[in-house]
Amino acid sequence: MPSPMDIYKLLPKTNCKLCGEQTCMSFAFKLITREKRLEDCKPLLSPEFGEQRRKIEEMLRVVEKATETGLVVNEDLCIGCGSCIVVCPVHVYEDPEGAGSGFGVRLENPILIVENGVVRVVNVELCRRYKEKTICVACRENCPTSAIAFLEEL
Amino acid sequence: MVVCTGCSCLCDDVEVELDGERVVKVKHACRIGAGIFLNYNVSRAEPMVNGKPTDIDEAVEKAIEILKDSRKVAIYGLDNTTLEAQKIAIDLAEKIGAMIDNGSKFGRLVELMLKNEIPTTTLEDVKDYAYVIVYWGCDVHNSMPRHMSRYTYYPRGKKRQRGYEEDRFLVVVDVRRSHTAMLAKKNAVFIETNDDQKLVREFICALNGGVASREVLRIVKEVKKSEFNVVFGGEGLIKGLKNLEDFVEFVKMFGYFIPADYHPNSMGFFRTMFERTGRVDSYDFGTDSEMSFENALINGQIDTVLIVADDPPNSMPFDVIRKLADVNTIVLDPKRSFTSKIADIVIPSAISGVECGGTMIRSDGVCVELKPIFKSKFDDVKILRRIERGL
Repeated sequence: MPSPMDIYKLLPKTNCKLCGEQTCMSFAFKLITREKRLEDCKPLLSPEFGEQRRKIEEMLRVVEKATETGLVVNEDLCIGCGSCIVVCPVHVYEDPEGAGSGFGVRLENPILIVENGVVRVVNVELCRRYKEKTICVACRENCPTSAIAFLEEL
Repeated sequence: MVVCTGCSCLCDDVEVELDGERVVKVKHACRIGAGIFLNYNVSRAEPMVNGKPTDIDEAVEKAIEILKDSRKVAIYGLDNTTLEAQKIAIDLAEKIGAMIDNGSKFGRLVELMLKNEIPTTTLEDVKDYAYVIVYWGCDVHNSMPRHMSRYTYYPRGKKRQRGYEEDRFLVVVDVRRSHTAMLAKKNAVFIETNDDQKLVREFICALNGGVASREVLRIVKEVKKSEFNVVFGGEGLIKGLKNLEDFVEFVKMFGYFIPADYHPNSMGFFRTMFERTGRVDSYDFGTDSEMSFENALINGQIDTVLIVADDPPNSMPFDVIRKLADVNTIVLDPKRSFTSKIADIVIPSAISGVECGGTMIRSDGVCVELKPIFKSKFDDVKILRRIERGL
C-alpha cells in the first residue's frame, strides 16, 4: 500500500485548501482512505504536474481494487477451496448449519462466496472490519495462495 | 444441488445455474469442480478409428473385433467412472481373461483397510469428533481443495464447536513446505522429513513413552488429550514407506486412517475388486495372479489396452508410456486427451456426474449418488455392456 508521505511528496504542497482540506498532507491521507478523489486537487490538473499526477494514479491503482474494508481478492491466485468462507466469524455466527459446518454458504447476502471456482466479495457491509472496525484477518490467514490480502499489508 | 466429481471429496452441495444447454454459474465448487461443469462441452472426443473420424457404432464394432483377436488384453483406468461401469469392466476382464488395473497407488493400504487390519472412519465423524488431524505426504489444498474446509480442519462439528483455533490440532508432514503446510500456524506443527519410515518409528517410540524429537513429543502430548485422531495419508506416504507393518502399528496407537486419494472413484474400484477377487488392484484374470499395468506394458505381456476414462500419458513416466505405441489402444473417454491422440480407437462417452448418473464411493468408503444435469445417449455403462455382449 502506498504511504501518505509518498503521495504527499508528489502533491503541489501549497496547502491551497481548494480541495476542502486544511493541508496537502491530510488530503494525501484521505486519498488512501478513499474519502477524497484525486480530481479534487485542482492545481494537480494543470499540465506542469502531469508526470506527478500519473505517478499518484499508479500508486492508487491498488487502492481502487480494494473493497471498503481494504479487502483485495486476486482471482488469478484463488483456487476456490472455500476456507475463507468457513473460517469467517460472521458466516459461522449467521449460518452455523451451512458455512459454519463446512458446506457452501446458505445466507442470502454472504460476505464472500465461491462462484465459478473463485472467491467473490458480495456483501462487504457485514464484515467485522466494516461495522465494528475490528482488525479481523481470519480469511487472509487461512489463504495459503495469497489470493486474499488487506490494503494495510500490501 | 449436484455432486461434483472433480476429486474424491465428491462435494454434494454444489449449485449449478443453466441457460439452456450452457452452464453459466457454478456455486460453492472449487476451481477443479467449476471447470468440469463450465467446460463440459469443450474439447469433446469424437469417435475415431485409426485417426479417421467415424460414427460411434463403427468404433464400438471395431473395438470388439480388436479385442476378439487379441492375445492378452489389459483394462486400465476406471477411476473417473461410476461403480456400475467398473462392475461391467471387471465382468469383461473376467470373461476374456484380461488383466485389470487402475491409476491409484493406494492399493496396498486400502487392502489393509478392507481386511479390517487398519482402523478407518468416515469424514463426517472426522468433522464431528477429530482433534489431531495429520496430513502425511499429501498437499490436499491443491489435490482436493475443499477437503480441509468441508470435512476436516475448518468446519465445526458436534463435539468440536469452537472451530479450528481451539478444537483442532493440525499436523502436516511433507518433503517440502506445500500450500497445506503453510496453513499450519497456531495449534499446528509442520514436520519436514525425507524419511517417512524413520518418522513412523519415532512416533511409535514417543507413543510408547520413549524419546523423540521435540515436535513429535508435542504432537503425542496433544494426541493423548483426545480419543479421536486421524491420519490422512497421501501418495508421498505410500511411496515413502518401505514396509507397512510399522505404519499399521502406528495408526492403531494413534487413531484412524483415511487415504487422501484424489481419484474420484478409486475406492469404488478397490472395493468391487476386493469383493470379487480378494485383491484390490493389479489383477490378472487369466492366471489369477498379480500383474501391474506398468510391468505388463514394459515386459510386452499385453497386445491390447482398453483405457476407460483415464489419461495415463498424463501421469505415467515416458519410458513406460512410450510402449503404448507397440500395442493396440482403445480409449473410452468423454474428452480429448493425450491418450485419445495416440489411440487406435476412440469411443466418446459421457462425463460422470454431468451427463450420466450412477454411484461413486468417496475416499472414506461412503457411497454417493450422482445427480446428473443432462442426459447423454452414450455413457461408459452402455458402451462397456455393448462391448461385453459383442464378445
